[in-house]
Parts: sequence; structure tokens; C-alpha cells
Amino acid sequence: MALLEGRKICKSFGGVQALSEVDFAVDAGSIVGLIGPNGAGKTTLFNTVAGAFKPTSGRVVFNGTDITGRPANAVCRMGMARTFQVSRPFGAMSCLENVMVAAINRRPGEPRASIERFALEKLSFVGIPELEGVEARQLNVIQKKRLELARALATEPRLLLLDEVMGGLNTQEINQAVAFIRSLRDKLGLTVLWIEHVMGAVMQAAERIIVLDQGRVLMAGAPQDVVADERVIQAYLGE
Amino acid sequence: MTRKKLAATAVITIAGMCVLPLGLGIYPQHVLITSLFYVMMAASWNLLAGYTGQVSFGHAAMAGIGAYTSGILAAKLGINPWIGVCFGTLLAALLGLGLGSLCLKMGGIYLSLTTLAFSQILQIVIVNEYDVTRGTMGLQVPGLMGDYSKLHYYYIMLAAAAVILVILYRMIHSNLGMNFRAVQNDETAAAAVGVKVLQMRVLAFTVASAMAGFAGALYGHYLLLITPEIPSLDLQFYVLAMTVIGGMGSLIGPVIGAFTLNILAEKIRDYGEYHVLVYGLVALLMARFAPNGLIGIWQRFKPVRPR
Repeated sequence: MALLEGRKICKSFGGVQALSEVDFAVDAGSIVGLIGPNGAGKTTLFNTVAGAFKPTSGRVVFNGTDITGRPANAVCRMGMARTFQVSRPFGAMSCLENVMVAAINRRPGEPRASIERFALEKLSFVGIPELEGVEARQLNVIQKKRLELARALATEPRLLLLDEVMGGLNTQEINQAVAFIRSLRDKLGLTVLWIEHVMGAVMQAAERIIVLDQGRVLMAGAPQDVVADERVIQAYLGE
Repeated sequence: MTRKKLAATAVITIAGMCVLPLGLGIYPQHVLITSLFYVMMAASWNLLAGYTGQVSFGHAAMAGIGAYTSGILAAKLGINPWIGVCFGTLLAALLGLGLGSLCLKMGGIYLSLTTLAFSQILQIVIVNEYDVTRGTMGLQVPGLMGDYSKLHYYYIMLAAAAVILVILYRMIHSNLGMNFRAVQNDETAAAAVGVKVLQMRVLAFTVASAMAGFAGALYGHYLLLITPEIPSLDLQFYVLAMTVIGGMGSLIGPVIGAFTLNILAEKIRDYGEYHVLVYGLVALLMARFAPNGLIGIWQRFKPVRPR
């Protein structure tokens, strides 16, 4: 069953058509990669799905409910969490507080001590428990990405949208991160939709790949079919 | 700071503040009373600028709304000033709700400009509606009590400031305060983790406006003469300078800023209105080089005790 579905999503900014009639589906319990050349509309699609942008036309259906045009905070509370291409931590707040913000909105009325414990668990889960008291703006790029992931997980999502989490990692780190993303699905039961430029990583972890090019879905299918497809090669390498 | 220590500090401070004016003459008492008015103004403006990132220039205007509402009710209709203060607070809250909603989708400079316009329009109306407000002549209003005693007014203002600071403290240390700070840090990211950004912004605007209305209404009944100087940009920037110099985004910063600047202003009164200019420059420099104000400087240099 599709947990997330886009139906003929269009989004234009002034005269620029960023997305045109994008149809796609993400099955519950799957890891789906979203790839495409720069400017293909991947992040715009995320923003439109997660409620940061309203689509010009088309529908977004999440977990059987039409969520088109709902604000980001409402979409989040329905169980969709996201990370950002360029991390956006709450810079002047500590790492623990960053995660707590997510937790208090997911679990209103829960006592402060239990929220703190829960937030610390999430920091440990992404491997940065020792940074709990550090101001988020002092973190390096990779730590910020981990923090953002912890924050997203603290909203207890069913679907996680990851926007380029592998940038800046070396080969060994990439392998660890791939295993980590798999464990999100296998251990936590999350569904993952994942934008990635590091092709090797996304091909290893995803069961299905959606290719965007110039605001349109070029193709969708299994990783081995996608890499062999003429159109995909052309989109990346040119004629 | 632990809760116990904090409570102890608060009790000692309040006790000290209660004793403070006893040996003083009328003039120093007056300076302390105006300082307490500015404490309320700066602390509540800080909720907007320091905690939700909404740099409003309409805060003095809200104090004016409170002062004129209560003053007109008392002077023209003979309503008890205390009831007038309640109405002044309520009307400021409602206007805050309206202005906050109007500015919902605006960030940064647009919100500042809209609130600036609101403040100017209000002042023009007050100056021109002579029959109701007595324009620049000022409106004579009755006091809060039958007898006029500076000491009594001091205790009223002290109690009012304490109530406002307690409310702010409780807000800031609740989930609400954490959501406010998230909104100030990054609205997009806050929305993405489930914070109701628009609600938070309007709520902060309404509460801060109500507080300004309350402070303005009390202040008007202390001055006994309400002039368009209360809802003026001079007062607005004075409050801004107090908050920025004291330390934005901390509860105690604006309190320190209000006392420091207001008392200092009295000391350098001989040089005319130049202190406003100097405060503006100092606030600019602080914003650039010490964005956390005097409180931030203190925290940077205070001896660190081993944990």
C-alpha cells in the first residue's frame, strides 16, 4: 500500500515550471531513492510534499489522507518528518533543546524530565549524546546533519524525508550511513524517501528509485533498471 | 541556577526593592517609578524581539493605547481607574492580536515597517483628536488612589513589574518558551518539527501588547497627565536600547538595561536630549559586538566554577 502518493503535482515560481505533473508513490516500509541532475526539482518536490510550499495544482496523499496545502507543522504531526539539504538547526539552542522542541510538540503534556530523557535517547541513537549541552551553531557539518536527524526522529514519524545526508562523507562513513538508513527501516519500521547525489549509496540501500529531470518523472523502477536506462544516462551525461 | 537558589535570589531582590525607596527623596523615587515602567516595557518587548524574533516598533504605541484608554474612561466617563487599567490592557491585547495577525506572513523588516506605520498613525490620531485626547496639551487624568504618594505608586509599580516578570519567567521556561525560541531561530525548521509557528507569533504579540497596555495605563495614572510622548517613537527606541544593551533573549537583561539607562539618563540630563542619540549609538555597537548585551558580557567574564 502506498504511504505517500503524489498525483500530478505541479509547482511554478513565476514563469518557471519547477515541477510538472509529477506522479509518484512510496510504499509503506520501503526505502525509495529520489535522484536527478541539479535543478531537476527534487528539493522542490520535498518542500511541496512536506507542506513548506503549496503546489500550484495536483494532490498529495499521505496515509490515505489528502494533505495538499496543509501547513508543515500539521503534516509533521501526521507523521512525516524531514531533514534539510543545508542543515537548519536552532543555532542558539543546545543540541538537547533542539531535539526537545520536536518532542514537546509530539507529546504535549508530558513532564519535562521524561521529554529530556526521550530527547537524549534520540541523540544517542544518532551517535552524538556527548553533545547534548553544546550550542547547535558550534557543530560541524556532519554533526549538524546528525542532530537534524535526531530532531526528525523525535517527531516519531512514519515517513522520513532525507535530503542529501551523505554529502561530505568518506567511503567508510558512507557505508556506515547506508547501514544506518537501512536500520531506520528494519528496526524502527520507518518508510524512507531519500534524495541523494552519492549514487553508490542510494543504489545500495534503496529498493526503488525515482528519477526526476527538468521537473518531470523520467522513470521509476528498481536500481539496476534505472542505471541501465538510456534516458537516465542521457539526463546525467547529456546527449 | 537551581530553583531554590533562584527563589532565594528573587525574594532577596524584592525585599531589597521594597526597602530601597524608604530613605530617598521624592525625585529619586520618581526615577525609580519610571524605571519600573521601563522594566515592564523592555521585558515584554523582549518577548517579541528576543524570543520570537519579531522586531516590533509598535510597543510604545500599545502603552499609549493602555494609557489613553484608561485615562479617557476615567477623565471623561468617571470610571474607576483600576477598571480603566483592565480595559486598557484588554484593548492593547486585542489590538496586539489584530496587528500580530496582520503581520503573520511578514518577517524581518516588513513587520518592523508595518508596526512603525501603526505607531505613527496612532500618534497622528491622538494629536488631532483634540476633543477626546487634548492633543499635545495632554489629558489630565485622576490618580489610582485618593491621596497622592510617590511611595504608594512605587509599590504598585513594583508589584506590577514583579507580576509581569513572573508571568514572563513561567512562559519562557515552559514548552511555550521553547517553541518561541525555535521560531526565533528558524521558522522553517520549527514548522518542520511540528511547531505551530503562526500561533506562536500571534500569541507572543498579544501577550506582549497586553503587558505594554497594562504598564502604560498604570504609568498614565501615575503621571496624571497623558501626552503623545507615551506612544512616541522616542519612547519606543528608548525601550529598544534598554533591551539590546541589557541583553536580548534573557529575562534579566532588559531589567538591568531599563534601570541602567533610565538612571544614567537622569545623571546626564544637563546635556539635553543627546542621551537618546548616545543610547542609539551604544545599542548599535552592542548589537554588533556584544549581541547578548551586558548580561552576555557578564556571562563571558564571570569566574567559572568547576562542576
